[in-house]
Amino acid sequence: MSWKALHRWLGLTVGTLAVVLGVSGALLAIDPVQQAWQAPAAPRDLPVATLVERVTRTVPGAEEIRHLPSGAIVVFSFAGDQPQASYVDPADGRVLGAWQASALPRWVKNLHRSLLLGDAGRWGAAGIALTMALLCASALMLLLRRMGGWRRLAARVRGSLAQRIHVVAGRVVLAVLCLTSLTALTMSASTLGLVALDTRAEPDVLSQVTGQPALPAAQLAALQGVAVPDLRKLNIPSASDPQDTWKVTTAQGQGWIDRYSGQMLAWQDATLAQRTYDLAVVLHTGEAAWPWAVVLGCVGASVLLFWLSGVVIWWQARRLAPHITGNAPLAQADVLIYVASEGGSTWAFAQTLLDALSQVGHRVHASALENFQTTAATRQVFVLAATYGEGQAPAHASHALAHIARLKAGAVPVTVLGFGDRQFPAFCAFAQALDETLRTQGWPALLPLECIHQQSGQQFARWGIALAQAMGEPLVLEHVPRTPPTTPLTLTARRDYNGGAGPATAILRFAWPAQTLGARLRGHGLARFAAGDLVGIVPPGSAVPRYYSLASGQEDGFLEICVRQMAGGLCSTHLLGLQLGDSVTAFIRSNPGFALPRTRRPVLLIGAGTGVAPLAGFIRRNDRHRPMHLYFGGRDPARDFYFGPEIQRWLVEGRLTTLHTAFSRVPEGGGYVQDALRRDAEQLRDWVTQGAIVRVCGGRAMAQGVAEALDAVLAPLQMSVAKLKASERYAEDVF
Amino acid sequence: MSRPLLTIVATACALALPALAHSRPLTLTAQLKNYGGDGAYIAAYLTDAKGAYVRTLWVAGGKAKYHQHLSDWNRLSAGDTKRLDGVTGASVGAGRTLKVTAELADALIDAGYEIRIDAAAEDMRDSPSEVRIPLSTANVGKPQPGKQYIQSATFELK
Repeated sequence: MSWKALHRWLGLTVGTLAVVLGVSGALLAIDPVQQAWQAPAAPRDLPVATLVERVTRTVPGAEEIRHLPSGAIVVFSFAGDQPQASYVDPADGRVLGAWQASALPRWVKNLHRSLLLGDAGRWGAAGIALTMALLCASALMLLLRRMGGWRRLAARVRGSLAQRIHVVAGRVVLAVLCLTSLTALTMSASTLGLVALDTRAEPDVLSQVTGQPALPAAQLAALQGVAVPDLRKLNIPSASDPQDTWKVTTAQGQGWIDRYSGQMLAWQDATLAQRTYDLAVVLHTGEAAWPWAVVLGCVGASVLLFWLSGVVIWWQARRLAPHITGNAPLAQADVLIYVASEGGSTWAFAQTLLDALSQVGHRVHASALENFQTTAATRQVFVLAATYGEGQAPAHASHALAHIARLKAGAVPVTVLGFGDRQFPAFCAFAQALDETLRTQGWPALLPLECIHQQSGQQFARWGIALAQAMGEPLVLEHVPRTPPTTPLTLTARRDYNGGAGPATAILRFAWPAQTLGARLRGHGLARFAAGDLVGIVPPGSAVPRYYSLASGQEDGFLEICVRQMAGGLCSTHLLGLQLGDSVTAFIRSNPGFALPRTRRPVLLIGAGTGVAPLAGFIRRNDRHRPMHLYFGGRDPARDFYFGPEIQRWLVEGRLTTLHTAFSRVPEGGGYVQDALRRDAEQLRDWVTQGAIVRVCGGRAMAQGVAEALDAVLAPLQMSVAKLKASERYAEDVF
Repeated sequence: MSRPLLTIVATACALALPALAHSRPLTLTAQLKNYGGDGAYIAAYLTDAKGAYVRTLWVAGGKAKYHQHLSDWNRLSAGDTKRLDGVTGASVGAGRTLKVTAELADALIDAGYEIRIDAAAEDMRDSPSEVRIPLSTANVGKPQPGKQYIQSATFELK
């Protein structure tokens, strides 16, 4: 069973009971906090002899003095027939008030350790603790895999809200949760009798009655030598039993003292098992230090959070689970589609491909990648492979690569289509590894490897055109992803840039639709957005949304995008044709990898053409005047210096620190933006040394040129774009 | 059955019966208070005229980890390796009654022997010698109050 399956099924089943233990544990953490402010702690150097002397003066008939882990002193006594337990002030022996073991009802503790089921329940609780330890271990493995190793453990977490909550919270509390499970197991082991704490018999010792009066506590050398912080418990000899002894229990062991001679009659060192147990109790309950109890309380409550977010993650994955319709039997199929998908979205692409191929008369069979094989009927094979985290295969296909490497190559073409996200350092790494393995084995391919970024429907459609040509068939791949609910947006302003020889471009500003609080709470309407996020626009006549980078955030109160006319572009034509007051249907898709983290470090913004839009959004909201440096690349300042007047104003206002432009179509324009970067090499190295964060937005070729230029610039620092990406300091928004 | 064997059995019975006639069953009943805690650990045992441990009558509460809280019994009976043999049961909940029976030799009655009961409950104080009842015919059926956990303890002899 994989770590993931183990984690999922243990979490969904036993995890439900772990929630009970977590929440009841969080309640129990109230006790140490409450007790900490009920009584003062004893001074560090106070001898026990002095404490006893003070206590016996104020509490006649004291039988036992306990030094609680919280530091407070409790004295047990009898007032007549009434047993009493009181806090005392160690400074003067003054009685401060009644002591109670817990402010909570007994059943909370019993629920926590035995689910109110007695001894059987204790075994159950121990089982849950063991499960919790396994959940922690599997969580660590999954966390490391997801984040890409120990060194990237603190990196930004991507994914759905539930996934982010699960991973971010897990990163914070995993170690403590693991510790509480292990200490719980330690405690259970002795309670259930699996480990004996101390098998030695108590020494049978008595005070020797000599006719002398008993020594007062202050004169007992054995008690003078013990400081109160080391004391656990002191039993005062009974007045009615002349042979009774003092019994002192400390962290180190326990001793019996003759009440007449003051001699230590016997001493037993605490066993290793006892010390381990004591340590486990202190770590598990937090009774020795209330801040630790607060931590434990939060961690206990977090179990509920993990369970809830875990259930949501499982439910989301289940909903995305593949259900392919129109699947032909393997033996009869002439086209096979194999899918490796982590979240399940790749299956939707497989369905689109299957439908399109079936429509032109093929019999198509789709299956998971681990089932890779060909039959006599097979004429074409397609592999649709997603990449997970640091270049790993999706969990279900983890052994597929090795499986394929063992197969003998056939004559049937196998074409690989990768799915991934450029924001991850290992974009489509698994698809690449698959493609390489297949080619090394000698399988032919109909088309070279293609990698789809962020499930782009357009890119998939373009691959479909290439496929149709290669197969010589009228194939159309129109992938309809599940789009979130859309909201109409009304155009309130537009600024047109006449492209001259180039395509027309416009900056479009839409009103942010007002929403009632109720709608927002229910998650209706437009999602929250910030500059750098994407707005998906569904043009009339198509179900496939096009994405544009936002040049504004929610705080600005409007949505602004920069749209360039694409040749034959359905959506750009639609947008550029809008009149003021017209509306479009849109939704927000967050782009968390591109958002700027909150730091005071310098920010290097590099954009070309309409790619300046999200960068302009960043500058617009730079209210705290952190150092921002913009490199803008265009063709002609008179035609395509988008946001030009605003950028100049922001420079004056201090929102932008420096502006560097490069225009490629005018004399002395400075060439391309990467030329400007090379010219400012010294300055760039300086910023990077200061920890600069880099954001690049523009076309694919431009982004590649920028990365190459920066690699050359940073080489003397032993730095590279790859290293910056790995430390989350470099992100691209490429179209 | 052969004749010699029958003879042996008959002789054995004749020797054993008088011994049985010299012991009496003792019933000890302890009614617990509503002390507001988890089930109490209770040890009932016998000490002689000098206060030395004789034997354990009953130990309620099975977890050896907590037996040290029955402190007098734990200390006095330390030398008795069989102190728990056949005389243990579950801890006794608050407000419940503990009833134990034991065979007691006649010679122990009215001879300065004492029934002692130690009690303890989790997170509460230990109560060694919660109850001490001299084992005399005068005390039969006479309830004795306890200090902290036991409302009253009574023993009966048959």
